[in-house]
Amino acid sequence: MKRVIGICNLHDGPDLGPLTENRPLGAVTFLGRYGLMDFALSNLSNSGIDRISVLVEKNVRAVRTHVREGQTWINNTKTGYLRLFFNEKSIGTPRFNTDISNLLTNRSYFEDETADYVLITNPFMLTSCDFRPFIDAHIASGAEASIIYKHTTKADTQYLNCGMIEVGKTGFVNKIINNSGMKKIADISLGTFVFNRDAFEKILRLSRDVSLLYGIRKMVRYCIDEKMLSLFAWEFSGFVAPILSLSDYVNQSLKLLDYSSRSQLFLDNWPVYTVTHNTPPALYGPNADVKNSFIANGCIIKGKVRNSIISRDVVIEEDTHIDNSIIFTKSVVGKGTKVNNVLADKYVRMFECHEVSGEPDCFLFIEQGAHI
Amino acid sequence: MPYKIVAMILAGGKGTRLESLTRKVAKPAVSFAAKYRIIDFPLSNCANSGINKVGVLMQYEAVALDSYVGNGEKWGLNGVHSFTATLTPRQTEDSAKWYKGTADAITQNIDFLDAQNPDYVLILSGDHIYKTLYNEMVDLHISTGADATISVIEVDPGEASRFGIMAVDKNDRIVEFQEKPKVPKSNLASMGIYVFTWKTLRSYLKEDEKSETSDHDFGKDIIPTMLGDGKKLQAYRFQGYWKDVGTLASLHQANMDIALDNRELNLFDDDDTTKIYSEDTHSVPQYVGTKGSIKRSIANQGAIILGSVDSCVISNEVIIEEGAVCTRCVIMAGARIKKGAKVHNAIVAPEAIVGENQEINLGKADVILVSGGSYK
Repeated sequence: MKRVIGICNLHDGPDLGPLTENRPLGAVTFLGRYGLMDFALSNLSNSGIDRISVLVEKNVRAVRTHVREGQTWINNTKTGYLRLFFNEKSIGTPRFNTDISNLLTNRSYFEDETADYVLITNPFMLTSCDFRPFIDAHIASGAEASIIYKHTTKADTQYLNCGMIEVGKTGFVNKIINNSGMKKIADISLGTFVFNRDAFEKILRLSRDVSLLYGIRKMVRYCIDEKMLSLFAWEFSGFVAPILSLSDYVNQSLKLLDYSSRSQLFLDNWPVYTVTHNTPPALYGPNADVKNSFIANGCIIKGKVRNSIISRDVVIEEDTHIDNSIIFTKSVVGKGTKVNNVLADKYVRMFECHEVSGEPDCFLFIEQGAHI
Repeated sequence: MPYKIVAMILAGGKGTRLESLTRKVAKPAVSFAAKYRIIDFPLSNCANSGINKVGVLMQYEAVALDSYVGNGEKWGLNGVHSFTATLTPRQTEDSAKWYKGTADAITQNIDFLDAQNPDYVLILSGDHIYKTLYNEMVDLHISTGADATISVIEVDPGEASRFGIMAVDKNDRIVEFQEKPKVPKSNLASMGIYVFTWKTLRSYLKEDEKSETSDHDFGKDIIPTMLGDGKKLQAYRFQGYWKDVGTLASLHQANMDIALDNRELNLFDDDDTTKIYSEDTHSVPQYVGTKGSIKRSIANQGAIILGSVDSCVISNEVIIEEGAVCTRCVIMAGARIKKGAKVHNAIVAPEAIVGENQEINLGKADVILVSGGSYK
């Protein structure tokens, strides 16, 4: 049996502005229930990869709180594990705090592994992707590494600054460049790779001579340019929700209210696992009036909610009107409050008779714990 | 805790009055309040009381219940000094027999209790809905020097003849026990929750085992015998919400109590000391559609509400299709109410399907059961 170890890489992710100021992107709440990294971890888990290392760039507390002991994603808790790699020494020098320096710092744990392949994925390209056919295709190709890409006709507006690949006739990648939005049709890297073990270690070693600032994705690009790596390209034809900016976060979240999108991300027999918070079911009061919304467990809903995502343990009091908004865990919307086009972080309290509004294309962000 | 205590949960009953709900699953494993199972309540109460050694006595359809209880992890009972033990009737060196009664179930597990060597044993029922900390009751048992302490609840005097009734003196010491009396001497009903001093109980169980006329039941045999022997039996007055959900009507009513938020039994309490723990499903958050509506209800993750829901309990993976109308229904996991169907005052079993435009129990006051597929 092939032995694959999985890596969920929380380095080198996009900046979601205030949402990622104090937490890594992987731990950002999604659809009121998940952390963004749940999708990557569940893909690994559902693909039968039971040994997972999470590379944590910063705020190890938020990651640890979310994944706990990791049993949520692990099948056999003796032979499998979910562990966190963290580079304590690089905290003061964020530019040098790359995924590669993290792996090298924890090298002895990594080198101890018996594995033939290393699969590395990320929390910002949300998919339900079975990695098994990808790994099989990689092995069949004879390449040193393989990359997952998505063919798109909307590269001028989506996937900006993502890697755009040029695939040669034999299915190998000739070139990776930045998607600057000049073309509509493109093959976009989803940032998920599988490496032969020795090729992966070669890249880690080489990186010390090339640049200490380079992470894995940059090193792959460098190796392609220098013709030092054979990289096979594997097309993923399923649904992708890229979370590359704060507006992506809002738009992709609300888009999933629509069944046609939701049913492509949440597939039968491909569960998305997340940790339990022991919350009771949601409670709806006599005047609750909810349409086209996600409501997480533990909520108490007494007012009007439209086209919104209400996270765990949120209280929506009477005579409220929430429209087109995303409210994070344990926030309270007090009596008589109107909330429109708002993204409210955790523990926000909006008191009576206020109107709190943003614009449809520019949500008002309310920071964690704010009282309004 | 300055003393050693083990809780034993009696979870072996069939629950015949719940009809097909318990056809393939023991009553304690029946779903409750959209995300729980009945046995979550005593198990969470134990966890919250710091009673971390729990035996669960199973007999009828033990497989599903056993796999649900598992290693006790769902209630945190898998720590270094904690466990849940599944105690089913089994073949031993001497015999192989079923549990003949509630007391016999404990008698057959005397070895298990001896190995724990507890000071006290807490006997609980696996089919009661209530939130409590047992510590106060155990403290009362210790401070009064009782041999047994029985949790009692005040019932309506007109109802008293349906229960086991405890007559007490001014110090709440039990002076007489009446099983379903025609003329009740008090309105204090036994809740089937007992604290025993283990050594005392052990000797009574050994005696009871020899008796050929005994039903081997706590209420019918052990308690009256102890009382007859002049043992000290103390009543502990329970305050708060408590419901035996042994019938369809009482199961439905207890569910409604939560949906209608009467807060006698508060699951939404911020106070973590009496939280009820359960299994979590890997479901998408619940979704209410553009034409859906839901009020006076509770709903679990994974539910999809495209129709109209009023005064209902909606479990995970339930789908209420467009135009369907549900009122006063308890709809269990995976059930589907199809387009235009109308259901009133019903318990809809797990995986059940109510067909398009079907009308069920409209205008009726009695609760009915809509049977389903296999219980998962």
